Amino acid sequence: MPMPFLRYVLMIVACLAAMPLMAQTPPTHIAASLIAESDTPAAGKTVTLALAMKPAKTWHGYWANPGDAGLGPTFKWTLPAGATAGEAQFPVPHTLLIAGLMNYVYEGDYAHLFTITLPAGLAAGTKLTIALEADWLACTAEVCVPESGTFSIPLIVGNGAVTAMRKGQFDRWRAALAKPLGSAAHYQVSGGTIRFGIPLPASATVGKVTFFPLTDGAIDYAAPQIVRRNGDLLTVETKAKGSAGELKAVEGVISLGEGMGLSLSATPGAVPAGGTILGETAGAQSSDGLAVTLALSFGAALLGGLLLNIMPCVFPILSLKALSLAKAGGDERTVRREALAYTAGVVLVCVALGVALLALRAGGSAVGWAFQLQDPRVILILLLLTSAIAFNLSGLFELGTLSFGNRLAAHKGTSGAFWTGALAAFIATPCTGPFMGAALGAALVLPTAAAITIFAGLGLGLALPFLLLGFVPALRRRLPKPGAWMDSFRRILSIPMFLTALGLAWILGRQSGVNGMTLGLMAALLLGFALWWLGRRQSAGGRGWIALIPALAAIAAIIVAIPRTPAMAQETAGGMLAAEAFSAQRLAALQAEGRPVFVYFTADWCLTCKVNEKTAIEREDVAAAFKGKQVAVLVGDWTDGDAEIGRFIETHGRSGVPLYLYYRSGAAPEILPQVLTAERLMALAV
Amino acid sequence: MTRRFWMTGAAVCAAALAVPGAAQQQTGAQAGNFRLNDQDGKVVELGKFRGKTVVLEWHNPECPFVRKHYDSGNMQKTQAAAQAQGAVWLTINSAAPGKQGYQSFASAKTLVAKDGIKASHYLLDSKGVVGRGYAAKTTPQMVIIDPAGVLVYQGGIDDKASSKKEDIPNARNHVLAALGEMKAGKPVSVKETRSYGCSVKYDGVS
Repeated sequence: MPMPFLRYVLMIVACLAAMPLMAQTPPTHIAASLIAESDTPAAGKTVTLALAMKPAKTWHGYWANPGDAGLGPTFKWTLPAGATAGEAQFPVPHTLLIAGLMNYVYEGDYAHLFTITLPAGLAAGTKLTIALEADWLACTAEVCVPESGTFSIPLIVGNGAVTAMRKGQFDRWRAALAKPLGSAAHYQVSGGTIRFGIPLPASATVGKVTFFPLTDGAIDYAAPQIVRRNGDLLTVETKAKGSAGELKAVEGVISLGEGMGLSLSATPGAVPAGGTILGETAGAQSSDGLAVTLALSFGAALLGGLLLNIMPCVFPILSLKALSLAKAGGDERTVRREALAYTAGVVLVCVALGVALLALRAGGSAVGWAFQLQDPRVILILLLLTSAIAFNLSGLFELGTLSFGNRLAAHKGTSGAFWTGALAAFIATPCTGPFMGAALGAALVLPTAAAITIFAGLGLGLALPFLLLGFVPALRRRLPKPGAWMDSFRRILSIPMFLTALGLAWILGRQSGVNGMTLGLMAALLLGFALWWLGRRQSAGGRGWIALIPALAAIAAIIVAIPRTPAMAQETAGGMLAAEAFSAQRLAALQAEGRPVFVYFTADWCLTCKVNEKTAIEREDVAAAFKGKQVAVLVGDWTDGDAEIGRFIETHGRSGVPLYLYYRSGAAPEILPQVLTAERLMALAV
Repeated sequence: MTRRFWMTGAAVCAAALAVPGAAQQQTGAQAGNFRLNDQDGKVVELGKFRGKTVVLEWHNPECPFVRKHYDSGNMQKTQAAAQAQGAVWLTINSAAPGKQGYQSFASAKTLVAKDGIKASHYLLDSKGVVGRGYAAKTTPQMVIIDPAGVLVYQGGIDDKASSKKEDIPNARNHVLAALGEMKAGKPVSVKETRSYGCSVKYDGVS
C-alpha cells in the first residue's frame, strides 16, 4: 500500500521541520498565552484576562460543549487572597462535521475571556501573581491531542490603565463573544423533534443560523437544523434526543452568522410551527414551504395556459386542428399520438423559453442587478408590465397579427403535430404575450424551480384542450366556434390585469412613499398614452412602434429616479425624539450643559428593545414632554457589539440590552425598568 | 452494470438489516444483532451470546482518551472484572482503512497482546456499520446488554470527562457500577451517560 507509506514519510518530514520550533515553545498544536487587559488593575475593580488561542493550520479547539465527540477546555485559577475569577466566556463557535459526527469548534484564532475581581484595599504597587492551569483538546479531522499549559501573569495594583493596543485587542475578542438575548426563549418537544422559539425582531437581518446547545441531551448534534422566521420569532427545528422531554431548560447560543451570536436559556413552552424557511436546508430538508410555492405557481400557470387557448390568435389554430382530427376520424391511436406530440412540442418550447429567461436572470445577477421585490424599481417595472398587458387586453393596441394558422394546421403526422405544438407556443408568442408577460414577471422574482414550473404549467395548460380532444372524441363535435365572443372575453380579462397593476401601485407606495407612487403612476400614464397612440396608428394601417421610443425613454428616467428609501418619518435617523448617537463624551458634554439626559441602548436583534421603542419611546406625547423639559436623548446601537457601548453597559451592572438610563443634572443615573411605559418616561420629565 | 448494481443494492440492504433500526439503540429495548470478524478472522455474532451479559467497548488504540484508560490499566481491570462475572467483552474498532487507529487482522492481534486487552474478542468494523448502528460517537464508548438481549446501559466509561489518568481514582466507573448492580439483581441505576473522547474515525469526509 503506497498511501500509508507516503503518510509516514510525510510525518517524519513534518517532525523534522517542527523540531527547531519545539525547542523554544511548548509543543502544542494550539499555542496559548495569557494576557491581561490592564497590567496595573485597580483595587476593588475588575480586570479582564484573556487566554488567547492560536490553532495551527488544520487544527481546531473546542467550545464548552464539544458536540458529538471531543472535550471542552477546563480552567483552574490560583488567585491572590480575596480575588475571584468569573466563569470562562466563550466566543461563538462554528460547526465542523467529520464523518457524520458534529464538532462545535474554533478553527481560527480565538480567546477565552475571564473577569477577575480584585479585593478592595490593596495598596498601589502591590504585586499580584495570578496563575492559570488550562487543559484543552486540540484536534484535526484525523487526530486529537490533549494539551495543557500553566500560565502566570504578574500584575501590579495601580489605576487600571489600558493601553490602546490592548484595548483594540480585547475589543475584538469581546465582539466575538455571544451577547445575552435579553428575552425569554422557549422550546417544545414533540414526536422526536424539538423546536426552539427565539424572539428576534422581524427587521433584524441574519446570515447562516445555527443553534449550539450548551445543555447536553437536548438535540441530535449532527441532525440538520431547519430555521424559520415567523414575524418577531425565529424558530429552529431539529431532531430531539430521547431525553429532551425530561430537561427543565436548555441553554445555548444562537449563531446568526458572521460571528454574531446570542446566548439564551430556553424553557419548555409552546412554540408555533410555520414561518419562512431560511438557509440552505430549505430545499432539501424541509420542502413543504417550497412545495406550496411550486404547487401554487404551477396551478396558476396551468390556468393561464388554458385561458391562452381562447385568445383570438390561438383558438383558430386549435379549432382548425380539432376539425382535422374530427375529419380524420378512424384511427384513434394516431389521433392520440398526435395529441401527445403536440403537447410535448408546446411544453418543450415553453420550458426552453423559461430556461432562456433564467439564464438571462443569472447573467444579470452576475453583473449585479438582482431582481428583488424589495427594490421599488423592480415593482415599478412589474407595474408597467401589467399595465401594458391590461391595455393590450382591453384592446388599446395590438401585438401584431397572425396569418399562418392554416399553414400550421396543414402539417401531418406525429412530427407534424410536434412542430405544430412547438410553433403554436412559439409563433403565437405575440398573441400569448399578455400571459407570457405575467409568467415572465413572476419568473424573474421566484426561485429557479418555481420559475421553470410556471413555464411548464403554462405549456401544459396551453396543450390541455388539444390533449383532451385527442383522447375524448366526443368533445371534438362540442367545440365552440370562433367568433366575436372571443374578443369580449379578452376585454373582460383586462379587469384582473388592471387590478394587479393597482396592487403593485400600492406596494410601490409602501416602498417609496407617495412621491414614488405618483411617479410610478405617471410612468404608467405615459405608457398608456404611447400605447393608445400606437393603437391609433395600427388601426390606420400603420406600424408606429417608433412612437414608443420617447415615451420609453421618459419611463426609463422615472425608473432610475424613483426614491429607494421609504419616506416614513418615524424611521429616519434620530426619530421623533431627535436622538443623537451615544458616546461617553457627548453624555458628559450634555451633563455639563446641565440638561437632563435620557440614554437608551438597543440592538436590531433585541425584541424587547424594539417593542419598548414602539410602545413607550417613539411617541408624540413622550417627545413633547421631553422637549418641554429640554431632555436630551442619546441612543446606543449595540447590534454589532460595539465595545465602548459594551463596557458602558457593564459598568451599570448589566450584560446586555435593553438598558434605559435617566440622568438628572448633578445626580447619579436612574436605571429604568427593562419593560418601559410611556407614562413612566413622561413622569421623568416633570 | 445492472446486475452489479442490484448485487450492490442487495449487499447494502443486508448490511442495513444486520442492525435493525440502523440509527440508534434504545436503552431498555432489544439490542440490534450484528456479525463481525474478530482478530483471528472468526465470525462473532452478538445474538449467540444470549444468556450472558455482553459489554461492548469502542476502541481506537491511538486515541489519547483510550490511552488514558489502557496505560493506567483501568480498562483491562474493568475487562477482567466483567469476565470474572461471566460477561462477554467485545472490543469494537470502527475506524475506516487509512484513518487513525485502523487495524488489520495481523495488527489487531499484535495490539491485543501488546496492550494486554482482556476482551473476549477484538472485532473489526472497518465499514462502520455496527458503530453507526449503535450511534457510537467517541472512543471509548460503552454499551451493556443483559442476558435477555436488552440494552441496559450506554454511554461513557466513567463520569470524569478528561484525558488525565489522575482523574480515574475519583471517577465513577459506570460499567463496573452497572455490572455490580446487575449481579446483585438490581436494575441499573445510571442507564445513559454522555461519553467523551475522540470521534470514531468513520469512513467519509462529512
